[in-house]
Amino acid sequence: MDWMSRVHNAFSDAAYHPDDSVVEELTQHAKAVYEAARADGCTPDEADRRVDVLLETWRLEADALRHRSRRLPAVAPPPVTTPTTAVARFAGFAGDLRYAARLLRRQPRHALLTILTLALGIGATTVLFSVTYGVLLKPLPWPNAERLVVLKETRGGSAPRFGDFTNAAYLAWREEASTVESLAAWSQRIVTLTGVGDPERIRITAATASLFPLLGVRPLIGSFFEARNETSPVVVLSEGLWRQRFNADPAVLGRHLDLDGEPYTIVGVLPDAAAYPNRQARAVVPFSVRPAAGNHLSLFSAIGLLRPGVTPAQAVAEGTARGRFAADTGMTTMAIFGSNGPVAIGAQPLREALTTGVRRPLIVLLVAVGLLLATATANVAGLQLARTTARAREMAIRAALGAGGARVTRQLLVESLLLGLLGGAAGISCTLVLHSVLRSVLPADFPRLDSVGVDAAVLAFALGVSVASSVAFGLLPVWHVRRLNLVETLAEDGTAPVGAGVRTRTARARRLIISAQVAIACILLVGASLLGRSFMALLTADRGFDPAAVLSARLAMPAAIYRTEQQRFGILEELLDRLARIPSVTEAAFTSELPLTPGGSTSAFNLTSAVAGGATVRVQASPRIVSPRYFSALRINIVAGRGFSDLDRDSSEPVVVVNQTFARRYLGDAPIGARLPTGAYARPDEQSRAWTVIGVVEDVRYVTATGISQPEMYYSYRQMGGRLPVQTVTVLARTAGAPRAVATALRAAVREADARLVADVVVPLEERLLTSLAQPRLYAVLLGAFASCALVIAAVGLFGVLSYSVSQRTRELAIRAALGAGRGEIVRLVLRQGLSVTLVGIVAGMLASTWLTRVLSTQLYGVTAHDPLTFVLVPLVLLAVGTLACVLPARRAAQLDPQRTLRGG
Amino acid sequence: MLCPYMGMNALARELKRGSTEVLILALLEERDRHGYELATLIDQRSNGAISFHAASLYPTLYRMEGKDLIEGRWVEKAGQRRRRYYRITAAGRKTLASQRSVWGTFFDALNRVARIRHA
Repeated sequence: MDWMSRVHNAFSDAAYHPDDSVVEELTQHAKAVYEAARADGCTPDEADRRVDVLLETWRLEADALRHRSRRLPAVAPPPVTTPTTAVARFAGFAGDLRYAARLLRRQPRHALLTILTLALGIGATTVLFSVTYGVLLKPLPWPNAERLVVLKETRGGSAPRFGDFTNAAYLAWREEASTVESLAAWSQRIVTLTGVGDPERIRITAATASLFPLLGVRPLIGSFFEARNETSPVVVLSEGLWRQRFNADPAVLGRHLDLDGEPYTIVGVLPDAAAYPNRQARAVVPFSVRPAAGNHLSLFSAIGLLRPGVTPAQAVAEGTARGRFAADTGMTTMAIFGSNGPVAIGAQPLREALTTGVRRPLIVLLVAVGLLLATATANVAGLQLARTTARAREMAIRAALGAGGARVTRQLLVESLLLGLLGGAAGISCTLVLHSVLRSVLPADFPRLDSVGVDAAVLAFALGVSVASSVAFGLLPVWHVRRLNLVETLAEDGTAPVGAGVRTRTARARRLIISAQVAIACILLVGASLLGRSFMALLTADRGFDPAAVLSARLAMPAAIYRTEQQRFGILEELLDRLARIPSVTEAAFTSELPLTPGGSTSAFNLTSAVAGGATVRVQASPRIVSPRYFSALRINIVAGRGFSDLDRDSSEPVVVVNQTFARRYLGDAPIGARLPTGAYARPDEQSRAWTVIGVVEDVRYVTATGISQPEMYYSYRQMGGRLPVQTVTVLARTAGAPRAVATALRAAVREADARLVADVVVPLEERLLTSLAQPRLYAVLLGAFASCALVIAAVGLFGVLSYSVSQRTRELAIRAALGAGRGEIVRLVLRQGLSVTLVGIVAGMLASTWLTRVLSTQLYGVTAHDPLTFVLVPLVLLAVGTLACVLPARRAAQLDPQRTLRGG
Repeated sequence: MLCPYMGMNALARELKRGSTEVLILALLEERDRHGYELATLIDQRSNGAISFHAASLYPTLYRMEGKDLIEGRWVEKAGQRRRRYYRITAAGRKTLASQRSVWGTFFDALNRVARIRHA
């Protein structure tokens, strides 16, 4: 009798029969005791007796020989019988689900990797979908939204320098409109709110009474103003301001608050959900469109409500026709439009107008994140396929026991579904976390941010994506299993034939997946690189001024508080003096216009032009009032003549500095000494004074790097007769160190110059620049993040496939090594396999990129869609990452011990 | 642990069980060993004074494994049948350290009272 049977027999009548591994261990112990006894000189009988004593004591303690392993017991697969009733079918499904869950528990690392990969893909896709859905697809909050059109006016094809619509065209159309039910006009401005707690600078909307009925909104409490009190000092609070400042008190109606020092009576509260044009406005005051009498032209934004059944094109035709009867405002029209041509009206559906700038980037990003999800799903498919290959024997046995193809398919799909849903749940958690930071990440000027949220539609999308991706990655293993050859799989002894794992269909499928992943990573990297380089180009673009080390602050001196222009002049002069005395401030200056902000003033006049051969031309130019040190503070180059000096005063000759565009367009070769017939901001009694051009400065692109330079005229504030004819200025301080460090000193200097004066938006100029570039930066960062994820996913996938392939080919590689292949050759073999897959992906990706990047071309600045650097660097990066992913498996292959491998160890 | 109201038999059983575990942990601290080796070593090192029956070795090992103090695994060596080797876990090391100090205190106390010495 052999030893094992002897030990088994010893337990035949014991209370508990130990399991096989315990018996095996005890057998070895018994055998060792026997051999030790023999070695001590015992006879075989004596030695056997010792063993029998031992066995007897074990038998008595049999109950204590339970093996208390912490390992999970083997999982029994669900039964393979075919269900006949619906209940049985459901029970079968539940069984599959339980089995799948237990399989996952047994392989926690695999499950975790899969779920994390899916969570990343599903989370990112869901976030982007929620933004796209909220911004582009969700119904607008106004009942009449589908009939609302945003109106724009042009003259002779030129858009106005600021605003969208003139009072002249508005009134001409409103009188006898037949295509639109009503028109509304609005504009926004920043005012100081006082009279209710701490003073605060807030944005308000000034709107015609027609705006609210046109949108179809109702007040939360109180009423909106009507056409007859468009000139009364009444105010409608936003819901936010009402809650914040008045604790949502319904008795607020009839109370007063001060805006820029003027008292207003509260008449109603506008619900935030219906706020138009945006939620940044904290209050709405009446706005009356006055006739364009004389040269008075006012500009604002306009919106129209189409009559039912009327198309925007019909409204455009009517608006344009009626606009031709608009009052002639001569020079003012010229100043604002740069043209006196015929009026043309444009009408764009509201939804389109709101999202026009973000539609294409959002769609591009949604496609990009879809590609990321695809590559994540492909990785999971690869992982699942590897697992199925390892489970081929299980599947074959189940098939042999009578499980039909449908039965096995169902079970595999249930497993994938479980993984997909777990990944989806993790993805939704990611989405919720990302949503909490979304508002701080997205630029403040991003349209319709309020409608972005996680709602039923977004959750349904996440669920749909989870199910779709789990079916996608579940189908590959199913396809693999259904092709399994029962006899071959069961006959296989675990030692694969030479070359297996490289040429099978499964291996080919996995290589195809990796190539596709590399291609996707390639496309995303190219896109990210283009947007990144474009952003860098925007950031470093030569704008004609140097924003580095300059602190800027806005100062508002409303006429209601600072009654006279002389008062404002005095305060500002003192402020400049105080700023110049701050130790780290090297230059202090101010300008009447805000750099990096759209809008501004414009003027027009007749000029005898050298360019036009002495004929009279109409000049449109933007006037700016600056302090003498303005050009040096912003490092604006003076290309001809000189800048202002402290000697340019009221008593000296009135002088003006123009920019290059002005000089080129109106003054010709000899701009210095030319005389401009009038000065902007000049007092009526000074209109006849001529201003001499003393210098030409480089064009400055104040708003965007891509903007076309407009003619500009700079005046020194010291030649304004001791007045400051504007109410808002921007103070600039060039500093020796970090500009932020001067902020406190600047605020103090402002307070000291005038106790009521508050420095607003005190930020370094570079930060204003970054804010103005928030959207391109966001797109570049997002696409970069997607590309990095796709790159990592592709690298992990490649690494997995190669590692698996090496483990499958150990026998083949060992034979090669035994036959004399050196380590170098083995490494090269594995590298070749990995790099060929990578190269196929790179070539496919580059080809796709050359075609796909065309959609990005409108988003690019300073680089072309076929940027050579990008198209050289991206393949190199991919190749480097691909090589890195190959190195570890290749090294493992090289370290194989051929003797051991072939002996079957 | 030792409780003052234990009867002599209970004390002896507790002592034996506790000491067995400490012995096994101490032996496994040096290196991984299989069951037979452990039994032989305990017998040799105590010069047979600790009459420790092989019968209780495996229940003790399995109990300790259940408590995560040691970990058993099958190891194959060239030309041999596979054997089950035990190794001490992190929790085992911690227990060993605390047991050592408890036993140290106990022997000190015994020594002071009864002048019994431990090696």
